[in-house]
Amino acid sequence: MTSSQKKALKTNLIGYSFVVPNFIGYFIFIFIPVCFSFVLSVMKWDGSDAPMQFVGLENFAKLFRDSTFIISLQNTVWYAVFTVPLTLVAALLIAVLLNSKIKGMVAYRTAFFFPYVASLVAVGAVWNMLFQPEFGPINEFLKWIGIANPPKWCASTDWAMWVIIIVSVWKYMGYYMVVYLAALQGISGDLYEAASIDGATGIKKLWYITIPMLTPTTFFVVIMLTIQCFKVFDLIYVMTGGGPGRATNVLVNHIYNAAFVDFKFGYASASALILFAIVLVVTLIQMRGERKFTDFV
Amino acid sequence: MSTKTVKSKVIVYAVLSVLAIGMIIPFFWMVLASFKNSNEVFSIPMRILPTVWHFDNYQTIWQKIPLLTFFKNTTKLTVITTIIQVFTSCFAAYGFAKVRFKGRDLLFVIYVTTIAVPWQVYMVPQFALMSKMHLTNSHLGLILMQAFSAFGVFLMRQFMMGIPNELLEAARIDGLSEYGIFARIALPLAKPGIATLIIFTFVNIWNDFMGPMIYLNSTELKTIQLGIRMFISQYGADYALIMAASVCSLIPVLVIFIICQKWFVEGITAGGVKG
Amino acid sequence: MKKRQLTALSMAAVMTAVSLAGCGGSEPAATEAPAAGGNTATEAPAADGGAASGEKVKLTVSVWDNSSSPQFQCIADAFMEKNPDVDVELLDTQADEYNNKVTVMLAGGDTDPDVIMVKDADTQAGMQQKNQLLDLTDYIAKDGIDLSLYNGAAEQLQIDGKQYTLPFRRDWYMLFYNKDLFDAAGVEYPSDDMTWDEFEALAKQMTSGEGSAKVYGSHNHTWMAMVANWAIQDGKNTLLAEDYSFLKPYYEQALRMQDEGVVQSYANLKTGSIHYISVFEQQQCAMIPMGSWFVATLLQDKKDGKFDFNWGVTKIPHPEGVAAGSTVGSVTPIAINAKTDVPDVAWEFVKFATSEEGAEILADNSVFPAISSDAVIDKLASIEGYPEDGKSALEVKNFVFDRPLDAKMPSVRKVIEEEHDLIMIGEEDIDTGIANMNQRAKEAMEE
Repeated sequence: MTSSQKKALKTNLIGYSFVVPNFIGYFIFIFIPVCFSFVLSVMKWDGSDAPMQFVGLENFAKLFRDSTFIISLQNTVWYAVFTVPLTLVAALLIAVLLNSKIKGMVAYRTAFFFPYVASLVAVGAVWNMLFQPEFGPINEFLKWIGIANPPKWCASTDWAMWVIIIVSVWKYMGYYMVVYLAALQGISGDLYEAASIDGATGIKKLWYITIPMLTPTTFFVVIMLTIQCFKVFDLIYVMTGGGPGRATNVLVNHIYNAAFVDFKFGYASASALILFAIVLVVTLIQMRGERKFTDFV
Repeated sequence: MSTKTVKSKVIVYAVLSVLAIGMIIPFFWMVLASFKNSNEVFSIPMRILPTVWHFDNYQTIWQKIPLLTFFKNTTKLTVITTIIQVFTSCFAAYGFAKVRFKGRDLLFVIYVTTIAVPWQVYMVPQFALMSKMHLTNSHLGLILMQAFSAFGVFLMRQFMMGIPNELLEAARIDGLSEYGIFARIALPLAKPGIATLIIFTFVNIWNDFMGPMIYLNSTELKTIQLGIRMFISQYGADYALIMAASVCSLIPVLVIFIICQKWFVEGITAGGVKG
Repeated sequence: MKKRQLTALSMAAVMTAVSLAGCGGSEPAATEAPAAGGNTATEAPAADGGAASGEKVKLTVSVWDNSSSPQFQCIADAFMEKNPDVDVELLDTQADEYNNKVTVMLAGGDTDPDVIMVKDADTQAGMQQKNQLLDLTDYIAKDGIDLSLYNGAAEQLQIDGKQYTLPFRRDWYMLFYNKDLFDAAGVEYPSDDMTWDEFEALAKQMTSGEGSAKVYGSHNHTWMAMVANWAIQDGKNTLLAEDYSFLKPYYEQALRMQDEGVVQSYANLKTGSIHYISVFEQQQCAMIPMGSWFVATLLQDKKDGKFDFNWGVTKIPHPEGVAAGSTVGSVTPIAINAKTDVPDVAWEFVKFATSEEGAEILADNSVFPAISSDAVIDKLASIEGYPEDGKSALEVKNFVFDRPLDAKMPSVRKVIEEEHDLIMIGEEDIDTGIANMNQRAKEAMEE
């Protein structure tokens, strides 16, 4: 063995020693399950010792005959369609306001950001009380301002999803606000000065400078939010449990119920792969887009 | 300053204040309700302040459910998971970023393939695997499934990549071993990244609900989030007590958050800009 | 599998080493990590060694809402007293998540829990189909257990002539009421022979007050049982049906009572996840139809000073043309996990819990055991705090199972309960709801 070979071997060993502790854990507990989920999706298995049965694409065929799955898919899309733009607009608006060199910025930021780190169980409990249909403070307030028949919120199939959307926007807006703040601070002041000289007003500057300059960030935020929306579960589990009826049953509810209530592991994995396919498409869009935006900037 | 800018400043402050108050109203209401008598929480007409301040609510909850055990469990899980996550991620990140070894790219590709896979996609096979290994209903199982993530390695790798190679070369010439370089140069320089990873792992594990819900059965193993859930289902109409328990569960996160807010923001910024 | 276990343990060791080496300052973590690893390490030899070792044998029993009912703890304590070498650990889960949790635990293929309290008897068929239950037939023959003690309940639990479970408790619905509220209103206590229509009229009469001071005449908890049970009380229909239209009159009544403000609205109870115990104990309702398990809770809570009014209990009302004393109820079976590492100890526990001795311990704790001998009934009626005029509630003329013990029942139940939800919050009218039940139950049965 030459000395250069020896050196290479040593470097290899050093490299492995750095990577291995994490890699073993990652490989066993993350990578294998991920691969296994593809296998499971074409199997019929109840999780017991009984052997799995290969059923081909039957699980997927069954998904599209299952009215609960279709409803949960629709609900998830509906949830995302409203949550993504609402969160985005709220985050952008507040970031722009916070960026106007105001005093006490940190205090405001704390208020907007804290919901993001607060636990869903506690937050779900308090929102459930606030939205309580008969005596809850929100409906008391609505009655006080003259709305005689306020919505029954979580007890209504039409409104339950809106409660989830409102609470989601409230909870996650702070995170994206911080993302926007960072991006805003990266926009050069010269642009605004030039615009001022041309006589542009605040709103015009926002529309013609800020928003276009933020396009890459907005793109990123849309992607992250979309993925997050498709993964929604905890909040719904805590607040409505998917009800009333199936009104807030989302994709992950379906996976959870198929797996841990009905114990159809194969079927659950098929459902999970649909989630994966959606997330993958969104991620691919992001990768393409990112290339485009990096070229552009 | 012109009157126009003063006016717009006032508007900005007013709008921000209204929005900020709106954001924290739920917490405000939670704290006030936690001091009320349960019947008073939904009294009509609505009463904002408690007529009598029931500080004893905060005593009662500790007797009704083993809240202390739940706190201990959550702390244990959070601390251990965070430590393992941070150390193994830093190690691996340094290996990937700064050591040229055979098979590095292949190993890294294995990480890359799963970065976009949400936990919800593989939670079912993961559960099957864990139960075959008899790791369900144990803290060890929960720790193992949460301590390793592609995200942690990615994040730390970003920071490690930013360390100039010249610096490491100089240290090598000085005779420092690769481990010495890692400990004395790379780790200190990656501090912002470490802080970010610590905080995010800490908050995620502390607040995690689904993992413990699926994996833990024994009461003495349960976490604070499960504890509050249990409290709600058993004492559904004791609104004040539920709120008191919720406040207790939020305090540790609030403290960490206020102390480390800077790192949160830097973490999001780093993650956000780089993707 | 062994290999994987090994990997897991060595992983734990690696990580402990890593956290030790990496971070001298983190004392708590470094000391706790091996402890966590130690748990599995000590469990593994127990799985191989079984009950033979000199150490205490650990027996795990899955139960629900342990803190609000003495039923499990009293049996566990008595059993440990008789068998000092056994350590019984109760795995507690809240009632509404219990069935899920048990399925998860069993599917995990773990040796725990050794003994399973089956909360809803209809779930046993599913467990049996997945080979998760130990066949008790031979044990029963060996120890000469007399199944006739259970008044037919044991036979009802058989699957293909085999006994996988034994009945532990038998509960039935009764009508509980708040005597103080009736006295204050100057209304006679509910009789033990009322039709549901008479009951409705009485509930209306007992409704008073406004806002947070309102007292409702009765209380319907959010379970589908609170409507469906009365529809099957005559024994002519079951909840595994092709046509659910027999539920219609009972939905009409439930909705009418809700609209007239005689009971709290379903939507309110559901969104607030309000427990019926607090509603009755905080005197928000004058009457409440509830299962006999409520007796133990009331006795206990009154003793603990959680409320101080007088309560009464009588027979559940009945449909027109059905005899008084006909009631709906269920049996709570006990089963043994097929994977248990200590089958003999588990059997001893099951045998004890379902024996006459166990029944008397339950009765002493005001829980209704499956064996209802005269001695047991007398014991129940003479418990301190049990209403003197309440003995008639203990006499059952005709007992109908709330749900058939069919393997299809749990999945049918899930879909009809979703429709129940929609009917009760007024999102679906009764006919649509019932049509959907018919349709979706059929789909669920074909699965």
